[in-house]
Amino acid sequence: MSTTFNPTTTIKDRAHISLNDEFLRNAVKYTTEKLRTSKKLASDELGNWEEWRERARQIRLHTIAHLDYYLSEFVKNARAAGVHVHFATTAQEAVHITMRIAEAKGAKSVVKSKSMVSEELHINHRLEEIGVEAIETDLGEYIIQLAGETPSHIIIPAIHKNKQQVAELFSEEAGEVLPPETPILAGFARAKLREKFLEADIGMTGCNFAIAETGSMVLFSNEGNARMVSTVPKTQITYMGMERIIPSLDDLEVMATMLPRSATGQKLTVYMSAITGPRRQEDSDGPEEMHIIILDNGRSSQLGDPEFQEVLNCIRCGACLNACPVYRHVGGHTYGWVYSGPIGAVLTPRLNQDMEKWGEVSYASSLCGACHEACPVKIPLHDMLVYIRRQKVEEGYTPASERMAFKGFKYIMSSHRRFKRIVNLGKTGQKIIARDGAITSKIGPLKGWTEHRYAPALADESFRDTWDNLSAELHVNGNKMAPDVLKRLQEAKRRREEKHHE
Amino acid sequence: MSKRGEEIIRELDEQAAEKEEQFFTHIANRLNRPRIIKTPAHPFRGAPDFWLAYELSEEERIGLFMANWTSMGGHTQRFPDLSSLSTYIEDMAQTMKAKYMIRFDHPLLNKMKMEQKLPDIEMTVWNKHAEEELLVKAAGADIGIAVVEYAIAHTGTVVAVSGAEQGRSVSLLPTVFIAILQAHDVKTKMGEVMKDLTRRFGNQLPAGVHFISGPSRSADIENDLTIGVHGPGIVHALILDESSP
Repeated sequence: MSTTFNPTTTIKDRAHISLNDEFLRNAVKYTTEKLRTSKKLASDELGNWEEWRERARQIRLHTIAHLDYYLSEFVKNARAAGVHVHFATTAQEAVHITMRIAEAKGAKSVVKSKSMVSEELHINHRLEEIGVEAIETDLGEYIIQLAGETPSHIIIPAIHKNKQQVAELFSEEAGEVLPPETPILAGFARAKLREKFLEADIGMTGCNFAIAETGSMVLFSNEGNARMVSTVPKTQITYMGMERIIPSLDDLEVMATMLPRSATGQKLTVYMSAITGPRRQEDSDGPEEMHIIILDNGRSSQLGDPEFQEVLNCIRCGACLNACPVYRHVGGHTYGWVYSGPIGAVLTPRLNQDMEKWGEVSYASSLCGACHEACPVKIPLHDMLVYIRRQKVEEGYTPASERMAFKGFKYIMSSHRRFKRIVNLGKTGQKIIARDGAITSKIGPLKGWTEHRYAPALADESFRDTWDNLSAELHVNGNKMAPDVLKRLQEAKRRREEKHHE
Repeated sequence: MSKRGEEIIRELDEQAAEKEEQFFTHIANRLNRPRIIKTPAHPFRGAPDFWLAYELSEEERIGLFMANWTSMGGHTQRFPDLSSLSTYIEDMAQTMKAKYMIRFDHPLLNKMKMEQKLPDIEMTVWNKHAEEELLVKAAGADIGIAVVEYAIAHTGTVVAVSGAEQGRSVSLLPTVFIAILQAHDVKTKMGEVMKDLTRRFGNQLPAGVHFISGPSRSADIENDLTIGVHGPGIVHALILDESSP
């Protein structure tokens, strides 16, 4: 199983490994199905789901379009509440700031609640390098940290681990054999992590939303670890992607309506905490010092790009993962970086700004659009995946064989005579390999397809051959094209011609 | 913090101050327009209109809250007056053989005089002086009792707010959490709580505003539902009908 964030294998190899892991496939299938069904029930129960989606989308669109204003408003209000705000353009800068804070505090140990941004920074490894223990406290994150792996689902990070494996990991940590029973394993984690919470110098959190008007950061959690991390240690560090902003508490109601329902089908997570600055003078708990590190790391490159700006609307619910027919088969590690599923296939090449290394991730999609349909803020992920493929081609990172094939395709398709000749040639040529209208040969250029299924053979009579008759039939019956369809086709034709003349 | 430590933080603050405007200007540049410094009109603020119009009667609100809270594994009950509520808590403490309890310093709780009725239990009352000690007390407590500011019927949520007399740990660290709420504080939907928070605090919210919906839970091990992972595994929402004076 590939478990690093910077794999040296190709996505094909990684998919191959996942597809041969039966436990993983069953676990991913079961979990995604469960989450998807719960989401459906929760959105039906709420009612007016489409109206809510549209409102959530509008709020996100509006915020991103005015991001400089809302972000500066947030910074002003957070500072007024006593927060130290930091700005990091790159992951390295965020790491550097974190190290400096850890140094200032003389920190020996850090407890973390789940933060995808912190995964972008590889912060745990960096802290360990300077001798600071960093402990994940979300149960799933704790499991994969002990295993030395990375999350394979944004909401259920240890989706790929079974009870037996968890028991082995925990037993090693406990120094005694623990049975593979969930209550015992969870009880061990609770007791062990309690100690860690109480002795940690720094608590680290992510940030689901930041509220511009009040300077608050908002965390959603079910276990309560995010509350522990933001209540017990003396210093709190919060990582925040620069796009996590929403304007007001009123807008939080909309996000709180969409996020838990889309993620797990809950009406609300068990805990939703709005933290505004460190503890007040008269408070006896909560952090004494609070830092918020606002991270760009490739996000601003999406701004102003009409094809990708909307990806910043994402609220990280994971609904697109659960809906995706590709994710549901291969799980999260196949994608190779922090984010998986359709959103990961877009964010990975876009945030890393590296088409050569990451462009191929955009091919882990059937472009069916289920992700868009599932998305609570209606991000057109399937369109973005096509744009990324186009960029990869434009930047010349497709294999030479593929480029050759498309040159040939262009040559053939640009003349109807050539096309006809080739089709006729193919009809004759396929006689050696086609049986009963299907090609089953598992070798040759169609191998990738025919290894697992038949490829249809070329028909004896092509569509072009039959067109004259078909067309005549249509007109005899007096079938007219619907006016709106006709108009759209004419419009498309006009645009194509315009483009041709450019 | 050491002197050197303070110096580092000061340096970081200076760096942030230097970087800030550049960070915002970069965003404006990417968006291909000048920096926006005046509050933009936000035509889509908050929930859609049909939702704003959604309102339940007090009885419906309480009924829905109780149903939702129960469906998540919480316990809930209504009490006509303070003494019946007080008796219920005392019985619970005795049944579970509680040794340590921690609570808000709130007039309602002070009036209950639980300390006198439960002489064998060590009761800690939250205050603004004992800092470290309170955290440890909360972590060791069997029961934590809070008077919450609001409840939300639609999601089955109670809302606790931090302050001098109200520690965040009380609803987080003990094994059992009891939230006491007054019937008239049960709202239909979250938006009403947001509006009231804004009315009371403006843009200066208390440091911790916690929305709590049931017991702590996780499904991270093979999708098995586990209750009480980090926060309390047993939660009670006790509703008091009588208005407090």
